[in-house]
Amino acid sequence: MARKEYDVLIIGSGHSGGMAANVLTKKGVSCLMLNAGPEVDFSRDRTTKAAHELPYRGFNKPGRLPHVYQANEFNANQWVDEKENPYTYDPGKPYNWVRVRLLGGRSLFWSRQSFRLSDFEFKAADIDGRGDNWPISHADLAPYYSQVESIFRVTGRKEGWPQFPDGNFVESNFTAPESQCIQRLTELCNQRKIGVSRMRSSQGVNGLASSINLLLPDAVATGKLDIVSNAIVREISVDKKTGLVNGAHFVDRHSKREMHAKARVVVVAAGTLESTRLLLNSGLANSSGVMGHYLHDQIYGVSVVASVPEARDGKAPQGLMGGNVFIPRFRNLTKEDKRDFIKGYCMLINSGGGANPNFFAAYGDELQKKLDSYAGSCVSGSIYGERVPRFENHVRINKAVTDAWGIPVLHIDVKDSDNELNMAKDAANTMEELFKSAGWEILSKTDKFYPPGYSIHEVGTCRMGDNPKISVLNKWNQSHDIKNLFVVDGSAFVTCGWQNPTMTIVSLSMRASEYLAEQMSQRNL
Amino acid sequence: MKRRRFIKALAAAPAVPALVAQQPLPPQSGRGAGPGGRQTQQEIAQLPLTEAGEIADPVARFFTASQFAALRKLSGILVPPVASYIGALDCDAPEFIDFLVSASPADRQQLYRNGLDALNLQARSKFGKPFADLDATQADAILKPLMATVAWAYDPPKDPVKHFIFQAHQDIRTATRNSIEASTAGASSGRRGLAGAGLFWNPIDPV
Repeated sequence: MARKEYDVLIIGSGHSGGMAANVLTKKGVSCLMLNAGPEVDFSRDRTTKAAHELPYRGFNKPGRLPHVYQANEFNANQWVDEKENPYTYDPGKPYNWVRVRLLGGRSLFWSRQSFRLSDFEFKAADIDGRGDNWPISHADLAPYYSQVESIFRVTGRKEGWPQFPDGNFVESNFTAPESQCIQRLTELCNQRKIGVSRMRSSQGVNGLASSINLLLPDAVATGKLDIVSNAIVREISVDKKTGLVNGAHFVDRHSKREMHAKARVVVVAAGTLESTRLLLNSGLANSSGVMGHYLHDQIYGVSVVASVPEARDGKAPQGLMGGNVFIPRFRNLTKEDKRDFIKGYCMLINSGGGANPNFFAAYGDELQKKLDSYAGSCVSGSIYGERVPRFENHVRINKAVTDAWGIPVLHIDVKDSDNELNMAKDAANTMEELFKSAGWEILSKTDKFYPPGYSIHEVGTCRMGDNPKISVLNKWNQSHDIKNLFVVDGSAFVTCGWQNPTMTIVSLSMRASEYLAEQMSQRNL
Repeated sequence: MKRRRFIKALAAAPAVPALVAQQPLPPQSGRGAGPGGRQTQQEIAQLPLTEAGEIADPVARFFTASQFAALRKLSGILVPPVASYIGALDCDAPEFIDFLVSASPADRQQLYRNGLDALNLQARSKFGKPFADLDATQADAILKPLMATVAWAYDPPKDPVKHFIFQAHQDIRTATRNSIEASTAGASSGRRGLAGAGLFWNPIDPV
């Protein structure tokens, strides 16, 4: 029996695939969505438990998810099983690939931090003096950011700073008086010309801002979207006569039965590295030779913790402690700001917490007394720092290793440079200097950071550009080589910035999908 | 064992699982309904079950006798009962650590074995007896120089024995804090919530 040919096949159901389905189906385009994992049912799949009820008392099962530092015994089942879905790297170059294969993908667990990129990122090469610019600017993406912010109900405080573009924020309640501790820090930052703002965050609905509650329901309601779960795409298929893609071969996750679905256009939205793996395994769209290259993300882990002396031993007066602030990038914003690194980082400051036992060389009663004394008196600072996209940081297919469905895996080859190390040192030193200037006692300071991938913000392996010789996609997320192939996730990024990339990914997907629908209506595709 | 049952009796009603067990089965979704919308699953009563840890003592079997004796001693010193907080020996934390390490990758097993052997070696060298037989002052004399401040858990001390002490201290604290005895003691002393409670994800449509 001849099966239906869809207008568009969307591979992946996270934020980017969800937005593609949302836009295309509303324009009357018939879509098929294939997702590698099952549908999640919160009421069935989650239970409140105490740690002592779990087999390992809250420790994760040893060795189960060695690359997912975010994993614990409570959430272990939400992550991709590393034995079923392995990847490889050289021992000296560890990489933490953090994956979710449920319907909705990683959007189910998104932290909801919602930032725009600025032209300090879109035009980074002009500022850094090296690298490449995006083929678009903030002005090109601003109308889409605005629509996405409305759908996701983003809160934020407008600042008017070029490195921190304001958005289409829903009304926010930032009128509560800041604690004296935060006021003191703000004064010190202002003296140093460091702008202090507030976190920008998606409210979503009932605390969830996922594709499964914000994007896919509308698409399903059009009657134009079919979703197939547990469909692991092995290869995108090509019409040998035209060279155009015409569907995908996939394998059922349970039965391992091989299937093929047909479509006029293919939109790849499986997440940066899964999308790239699929395209490399398919042998498509890589005339430039840069597919898989320029993998980068952000550095996490740098932190400084201090204690406010007046708040110790439970003696903090009302209004001294509490609250948090967000400090967007402030380094390398002008040519006069000469540093031993390019790009920048943001800082997150929280007031009112306690001390970590690891900060003290003590045990037993002595340790407990210290913990009691420092409780509620601490200020902690951490950063998100931009890694530099470099050609040599890349992924390739490792044909010697396959996943549980016989699909060759990725070999990831990424290493940090002095730029990341120097940025981390600057961030730790800056936070330490600020806290010391405030008269606070430094309890811990580290300029160490997690291996690449930890941030779950990996981007760049199918980057966009105007020049087909050095980019995989054009400015519409469309393959330079195959006009009916689009890639709408983070792999299209040229630079990641210090910002959580989700708003940019979703906005790019919206923009690309509108372009795609327009091209289809004009019969160019 | 008696003490364990006493603590269990103290736990007036933290028993979320027991309450859940009393609830009727959730209604079946439409996808599971039989012809004509009839429910195909029979409703059966959920029988009350007992956690193994509530009625049986754990058996340590990974470490050697001298290593385990050192681990017990170390656990009691690093995490003693303080105020209303229970200590590591009140909740079989050393026995749990024995189990945890037995299931761990080789590098963690080696870290523990070498670390415990090093404690025994130092104890014999300085005081002529194993670590487990030291008095508090003698144990402090060995342990205090091995304590290190750690700003970031992923950047442990380079010295392997200090690394072991850091890791063991962290593990023993967690094993103690997450025990049923800590949960019960916390409820008895008025601390809110269950120790280490969280939202657990069941296996989702496993292959």
